[in-house]
Amino acid sequence: MRNRLTPITLGTMLVALYLFLFAPVIYLVYASFARDTVWPFPWHFTVAGYVDLAGARAYQQALWNSVVLASAAAFLAMALSAMGSIAVLKYRHRWRGAFAIIIVSPMFVAELLIGISTLIFNRKVLGLPGNMGSAIVANAVHGMAFGFLIMLAQLVRYDWRLDDAAQVFGAGPYRTFWYVTLPNIWPAMLGAFVLSFLLAFNNLEISFYNLGAIPTLPSLAWGSLRYGLKPELFALAALVNGVVFAAFAVIYALMRTGLVRFGYRGI
Amino acid sequence: MSDVAIGIHDVTKRFGRTVAVKNATLEISQGEFFSLLGPSGSGKTTLLRIIAGLEAPDGGRVTIAGKDVTDLPPYARGVGMVFQDFLLFPHMTVAENIQFPLRMQHANRATRDERLAWIVKLLRIDGLEGRFPHQLSGGQQQRVALARGLISRPALLLLDEPLANLDRELRKEMEVEVRRYQRELGIPFVYVTHNQEEALTMSDRIAVMRAGGFEQVAPKLDVYIAPATAFVASFVGHANRLRGNLRDGMLDWKGHRLALPKIEGATDGDAIDYFIKCEHLTIAPAGTSVGANLNRVDGTIRDIIFKGQVADHLVVLGDGTEIVVSEAASLPRVKAGDAVSITWAPDAGRSFRALDT
Amino acid sequence: MLRRAETRFLLLGLPGVAFTVLFLLMPIVSVLIFSFWRTESYEIYADWNLDNYRAVLTNPTYLTFLGRSAYTALIVTLLCLLYAWPVAYFVAKYGGRYRLLLVLGLAAPFFTGAVLRLAALQAIMGPIGFINMVVTWFGLEPIGFIMYTKFATGIGLAYLYLPFMVTAIYLSLLNFNFQLLNVAKVNGARPWRAFWAVTWPLNWIGTVIGVVLVFIPCMAESLTPRFLGGPDGALFGTVLGQQFGETGTWAQGSAMGVLLFVVCFAVIVGMALTINPRRAGFTGAGR
Repeated sequence: MRNRLTPITLGTMLVALYLFLFAPVIYLVYASFARDTVWPFPWHFTVAGYVDLAGARAYQQALWNSVVLASAAAFLAMALSAMGSIAVLKYRHRWRGAFAIIIVSPMFVAELLIGISTLIFNRKVLGLPGNMGSAIVANAVHGMAFGFLIMLAQLVRYDWRLDDAAQVFGAGPYRTFWYVTLPNIWPAMLGAFVLSFLLAFNNLEISFYNLGAIPTLPSLAWGSLRYGLKPELFALAALVNGVVFAAFAVIYALMRTGLVRFGYRGI
Repeated sequence: MSDVAIGIHDVTKRFGRTVAVKNATLEISQGEFFSLLGPSGSGKTTLLRIIAGLEAPDGGRVTIAGKDVTDLPPYARGVGMVFQDFLLFPHMTVAENIQFPLRMQHANRATRDERLAWIVKLLRIDGLEGRFPHQLSGGQQQRVALARGLISRPALLLLDEPLANLDRELRKEMEVEVRRYQRELGIPFVYVTHNQEEALTMSDRIAVMRAGGFEQVAPKLDVYIAPATAFVASFVGHANRLRGNLRDGMLDWKGHRLALPKIEGATDGDAIDYFIKCEHLTIAPAGTSVGANLNRVDGTIRDIIFKGQVADHLVVLGDGTEIVVSEAASLPRVKAGDAVSITWAPDAGRSFRALDT
Repeated sequence: MLRRAETRFLLLGLPGVAFTVLFLLMPIVSVLIFSFWRTESYEIYADWNLDNYRAVLTNPTYLTFLGRSAYTALIVTLLCLLYAWPVAYFVAKYGGRYRLLLVLGLAAPFFTGAVLRLAALQAIMGPIGFINMVVTWFGLEPIGFIMYTKFATGIGLAYLYLPFMVTAIYLSLLNFNFQLLNVAKVNGARPWRAFWAVTWPLNWIGTVIGVVLVFIPCMAESLTPRFLGGPDGALFGTVLGQQFGETGTWAQGSAMGVLLFVVCFAVIVGMALTINPRRAGFTGAGR
């Protein structure tokens, strides 16, 4: 029919974007199995990078640091953004606009600026050396803003009278949250968590200035640029992508079988 | 026939395996108020969206004012439409919302303003032009939606359950008004509703739809008085259904022998549905002698539900069956607990061969 | 009753606000203060002066970098805007129940750090990279302009930040009632007209957020030009970062940071002013 051309064109653009975004990732995975990671053409298959990785303490430590940093920052960000979005959406308080602007504002400050300003603040004002705590907090500020936006966008249509209903039927504030609010807003909270985790996990600029000598995956990659990227790094990146891809496959399978419906009201 | 405003010829629409509209053929005349009445899922909204061009039919043709518009997109059809939930543009003022169709037709400013003045006066929403939709009450939003549908003086106006979200009082008021605008403008209105009272109040003709097909297309009185099928009889008006078997030309219903209109082709022993509207029944004190040509059953009044001018009397028969009788509310002769007789003229009811339900 | 609602609002909202003030506002204020101080051999001294600003604003090199950053960010933002709208529209309208998965898919490459992905992009687009290898296979001249140029920097930036723009517009479209398009069409609007009259204005806030989310990191970018930009590709963020690393001139770096912040803030305010809240389509907040 007359409308069929539009979705085809738009869909093609989406596919092209996917190809563009994933091409370097696919290349990384491909190169991780090559004898020469810098110039992997023609391809000589090897798993040497993975074998080396198994014995490389520095990389494992960096991965562990990244996971700890990202998990903690994401958890903080999720909690704060969930609380903030409920406050702003549910209560018609005269300060709600101001609160929303303040909580979302870190999103509009460049990562580089967050990095150097927290560095200056910690080092010169508080006299702290580079440490995990500062890096977690700095990443959480950034993640909170993004999480807040995600939650606002998804919960703007949530009908808070459901909470009133629960209270009328005898649920106190905690049970209302547990039995009514949470089951409805968890997809949005998960979205906030995943996004903040992602931002913190791969953040170079904020963490770089706040961690001092503690290595994370991005800073390790940055530091090893000088000597050329090592095969272990390619292998590690490939493994991380393997895990991510597996997670996506599981989500897709669960949606396929109808076990899980992601999103609130069809989102 | 130049009088035909909308022609629907053998239109079919499927969604996957469900047939939403099945071989629908219909003609709606210039100046007619036409209702598509049916329960949800009967295909009435789909048919309306096909006329608007929002759905493409899988088969069949649609004509507007004699012109085949089947392959035209909605924006080239020149129809007006009032949507369920009103669907006013939230970022536009009332005036901008109403003038939207004229802007799309590249009408000049003078025309737009002149028409706006005319329509807000007609719909009595003058003074609201500068407001935004969320600043309006439900009734005002309804009028703005109507004004947007009518301002370009379209060849016809389509209305998709426009009153469904209004409260009862407002709905009654709007029913009368919508009807008045249709009379004043003289263009056909096609009105989709699941509410039979709305359809009966406003329409000239009604098409009763069920499972994608027409059960009956007729002037509203015919639909009400002479339902063509058992489905129409049960859906339109408030009727009691008495299901029994045909025996010697009479209905054998739970041991009562009742006279009934003849059914073509029915033979002894066939299952029969006999529909009798509540207001065609009369209550008399028990034991009152009645004419031999009337049907009569005896029971006890369980409750009387006041509904304004009339009241529904719930009468329980000896075997526990309940029959509803609408009688004048001012009737003081009976009260709950009284033993009564229900009588009616057999011809007031309609009989059909039983549906499988 | 009203009292309790007020308490709950503050209980839920204040932590986020306090967090932002403590860990974002205070650091930025300290940067502002330091920008008026003086650094000497890696130590900072509290003599108030304007020399840092004078040094930055009179040095043509820094101004060139700033201008180049702004220009690059503008072009990249416009390109992202053009590409992100159709993609977000497709996902929101035709994505069905897999919409969320499709959008998360755009975020998935972010699990690989920017450094590695840019290195891979370099390997794909470089002078002896994958693309040119394919090109030479077909007997054509290698393409020069896609590597170590401003064009390459642009590609790299779009690569990194396009998903932000798509997500912002997608989230906005989620709350857009596509039925309104049908209303416009029945009332005589052709598809493009309907888009400009209804879809575009009602999703302007999402678009603004997307624009800002792409513009700001591009403006502050320091990483991408190192990989893709070539010898004269350095951007403002690169030299800003150097003040805190190699040269250790923190006070001047702070002044540059303030300058960067001011430019970004001006862009945010400018974009925010284009939003007319009455016409943003909010139907009374909260529901």
